[in-house]
Amino acid sequence: MPKVPILMPQLGESIAEATIMRLNIALGDTVVPDQEVIEVETNKATMGVTALCVGEVVEILVAEGVSYAVGSVLGVLEVTQEELDRTGEKAIDEVSAGVNGAPAEDVPKSGDDPEANLHFKTEDGGYHEPKRVEPSVQGLPVPTGKGGAHYISPRMRARMTELGLRAADISAITGSGAGGRVTVEDLESFLEHIQSWPRTKASPMRLAVADAMRRSWTRPLATVARPLVMDRILDHRRGQTPKPGPALYLLRALAIALAENPTTAGYLIGENVVHPRAFDIGVAVQVDDGVLVPIIRNADTKTLNELVADYNELVELARARKLPSDATQHGIATVTNFGTFGLTWGTPIPLPNETLILGLSAGVKKPVWSEQTGTFIPVTEAEIDLTFDHRVVDGGGAGMLLNRISELLQSPEQL
Amino acid sequence: MGNITDASQVNANDFDRDHVRKVFRSMQTARILENKLASLYRAGKIVGGVYLGKGQEAVSASLASCLTRGKDIFAPLIRDQAGRTAFGEEILDCTRTYLGSVAGPMRGRDGNIHRGRPAEGMPAMISHLGAAISLVSGMLLAKRIKGELDGVVGATCIGDGCTSTGAFHEGLNTAAVEKLPLVLTIANNQYAYSTPNERQFVCQDLVDKAIGYGVPGYSVDGTDMLACIKVMKDAADRARAGGGAQLIVASMLRLTGHGEHDDGSYVDSNLRNSGLGRDSIEVGKSQLVEYGFATTEEIESWATEATEVVQEAVATAQKESAPDPYQDDWAAFSNPANIDFHN
Amino acid sequence: MSEITYIDAIHAALSEAMAEDPSVFLYGQDIGKFGGAFKATKGLQEKYPERVLDAPISEDAMAGMAIGAAIEGARPVLEMQFADFSSVAFNQIINQAATHFYRTGVPVPMTVRLPSGGTPGSGPFHSQSMESLYAHYPGLVVVTPATVADAYSMLLDSIKMDDPVMYCEHKFLYRWLKSKDFQGDRLPIGKARVTRAGKHATVVTYSAMVHEAVRAAEMLHAEGGWEIEVVDLRSVKPMDTDTIIASVARTGRLLALGEAFPWGGVTAEVVARVSAEAFHLLDAPPVRFNARDTPIPFHPNLWAAHRPTPESIAQELRKLLNY
Repeated sequence: MPKVPILMPQLGESIAEATIMRLNIALGDTVVPDQEVIEVETNKATMGVTALCVGEVVEILVAEGVSYAVGSVLGVLEVTQEELDRTGEKAIDEVSAGVNGAPAEDVPKSGDDPEANLHFKTEDGGYHEPKRVEPSVQGLPVPTGKGGAHYISPRMRARMTELGLRAADISAITGSGAGGRVTVEDLESFLEHIQSWPRTKASPMRLAVADAMRRSWTRPLATVARPLVMDRILDHRRGQTPKPGPALYLLRALAIALAENPTTAGYLIGENVVHPRAFDIGVAVQVDDGVLVPIIRNADTKTLNELVADYNELVELARARKLPSDATQHGIATVTNFGTFGLTWGTPIPLPNETLILGLSAGVKKPVWSEQTGTFIPVTEAEIDLTFDHRVVDGGGAGMLLNRISELLQSPEQL
Repeated sequence: MGNITDASQVNANDFDRDHVRKVFRSMQTARILENKLASLYRAGKIVGGVYLGKGQEAVSASLASCLTRGKDIFAPLIRDQAGRTAFGEEILDCTRTYLGSVAGPMRGRDGNIHRGRPAEGMPAMISHLGAAISLVSGMLLAKRIKGELDGVVGATCIGDGCTSTGAFHEGLNTAAVEKLPLVLTIANNQYAYSTPNERQFVCQDLVDKAIGYGVPGYSVDGTDMLACIKVMKDAADRARAGGGAQLIVASMLRLTGHGEHDDGSYVDSNLRNSGLGRDSIEVGKSQLVEYGFATTEEIESWATEATEVVQEAVATAQKESAPDPYQDDWAAFSNPANIDFHN
Repeated sequence: MSEITYIDAIHAALSEAMAEDPSVFLYGQDIGKFGGAFKATKGLQEKYPERVLDAPISEDAMAGMAIGAAIEGARPVLEMQFADFSSVAFNQIINQAATHFYRTGVPVPMTVRLPSGGTPGSGPFHSQSMESLYAHYPGLVVVTPATVADAYSMLLDSIKMDDPVMYCEHKFLYRWLKSKDFQGDRLPIGKARVTRAGKHATVVTYSAMVHEAVRAAEMLHAEGGWEIEVVDLRSVKPMDTDTIIASVARTGRLLALGEAFPWGGVTAEVVARVSAEAFHLLDAPPVRFNARDTPIPFHPNLWAAHRPTPESIAQELRKLLNY
């Protein structure tokens, strides 16, 4: 037979429990509707708890003088099915479905948190999934690029500004935020992690180079290289006064090659490739704790001889840190002779406002087989490396540029 | 201006037999229903409060029995189960609202006595006392504007405590100014929750207020069913005939706590033992038999019938679904374009 | 062609609504023969003696009457003599009118006209803006027309609306704001309007502050070529979040401007929505600018410094633009 609970009622809005004063029933008693079966007391009033149907008392779960919480099962009645139908009472296993007993199959299941269900119906009459903790941004996706620049929230931006940090400085941090973004908490724990490490103050020159390189690195840069036989250049150079530096030969050859095909040095802005207006090419000069890049103007229209005096003067000024500020502005490409450090290859990075940088490595003696003499002959060979913005130039275009430069440099007297 | 009627004398020949029987049956059904509500509450079946009208059945039922549903307006307060039944409210509306059935008129959005069917002339009360006085007046005003006011009455009930509110003053004065057919009934049951009358007002008799508002006032023993029937009919007839707002003060004792969470232990035992403490249903029963409106057997059979109706309404409501937060449309506006939050 | 003022537009809308629909009636203090404190109902009682009713000084009962009448199928237009006095009717409005449809399924087609906002010399009790308070309560539509055409069309739409509408009309605009006619674009309630297009910052505002914002925008344009976009909310509830966010997407900077007191309210709601839903569109912290957090002072010198002015709005915008 169905069993019906006798429940501790809610006796007043702020009452959480009540004390059993007297049990008016005993096991085996038959109760009738509206009979007061148990007397309870709260700090406000004394009340009789009622039964609502005819039934036999089969369990009493409470003792007199003891307090029980609202909703507690105080006892159990055994009731006929007919009596349940007549009164609308619920058997004990149905009661847990809620005060008013929505049919159990209508109650959506959502784990342990009843709050999680309090959401709205969908258009088609179904239910939304129970809500989980989600980022507060709704409707629009957080623009984080897992492979690219991090999204920096206004709060993150403020903290970074306070600390003097740039976006690139947080690249070492694994983000735990939406879409992998670095949160302020991630930043703080990273800073704590590196707090005890040794450090030195970066010079203004270092910071300026860092800034330029960081900005440049936002682009997809690629580097290609090819060998360059240096002997003719070296021969030609020996006959010159003053002697042009090897980088100047490259600079002049680059200017000629770009003047023949200016789009290679173009700059991508939005949907346009902006072409160079003048072939002003810089030369990288290593100074204490940094690099300066004086610009040689109109390198496509002046001969090597005409350029050498300007070039030497600018290099000297750079080394003396006395370059006028306009001498480093508005170049379209840069030449760097890292070979002076004995390096045999490199991937130089163009300035952020330039698409190209051409590098020259150290020349080395190599045996080259001569069909003419049938012997190995010694030649001086260097590597020229071209780093380019792959949005503007492809590997083929970069290769052709290097080949043309190499070709031009085999006739240094015509430069 | 403001003549005061004291209905202490009644003559049985003045009464319509069917009307008297209807009033009593509403009182009796309300009592049986309210006893069941109390029982449900004490069995933990009702969430929220239970507020009963025990002791005030005669006042409430005799007022609403003068009204015609579909034409007149009745705005009950918390102790007006008898009036609701007399006005024609289904017992199911009551059990469904108390038990939180989604099939009830309030669909689980409001509970217990905060129920109504405003489109059928019975507003759903808010908890703020006196708010219905101007509300009913406005409903009457609309009928006037539409040319439908002829022969119509609007009635509402308040308690002694409500006479202290600004809404009472503003509402009654405004209805008087507009000469609207409002029958305002004060059930002076001696307590507002636990506050006795001497802490509520110091005028000698609440009915004296009628003079101040320039409306007819009536004083009646609220435990005397026939006296109540007479006074209510007089007042309603006068309003219907263009006599403007009417103020009735019916005195009795609340025979229950403020709500079922309250045992009313603060009620003065002298009042319980005075005439005010009489149970209007017991008085009504004797009047029915004494004046030949009904026999004891009839009264018993009505009780049996009412008990069955109540039990069935409770059973039906208990078997129905509770409101489902997934199915509620959560719309506070009738025009979907006004809904601001779509979360 | 003679010029039409904001109050003329209100009068025209009331007159038209009464002519169109016999269930429309007007209720309020001094609105009958006297024509209302601001003459919004001038001459209407002569035309409709049964439907233009003078009320006693009982704002609670006035609101209760209007709600009851609306439930019963009439379309009352309640005139609060000043928005400030609607506080006396607050209970009826927020507890009776606002909850009614949700509780009972019966709508309350009532319009409450609230002469709002400050004018010089009006002082603490004849200058208040109540829109934020009413917008807080579920069930109330709150509109704040800023133009002559909106004053007209939004009042007509409010009266036709089945839900209760708090129609906040600005007293300063009554006679100051003029137009050749009141036939505008008739945007529906719930849609904001971009009053002035721009690209450097967005000002989201409503009611009389729309005009002050436009003046500030003109000052900044003359000063430095700044192009400030001004969004007129028109209705603060429902709030047209889409139009606000679309504007912030264009400009990246937001100033939420209002004449009401600063704690919470419409401007806080605007900033909250943009911050929550358009966080990443913000290039600068969103700014709120309201009246000061004191009662509204009487003396014009104090009053002018209590509420936002074109100069102070421009100053807030300069800070925002410099962020």
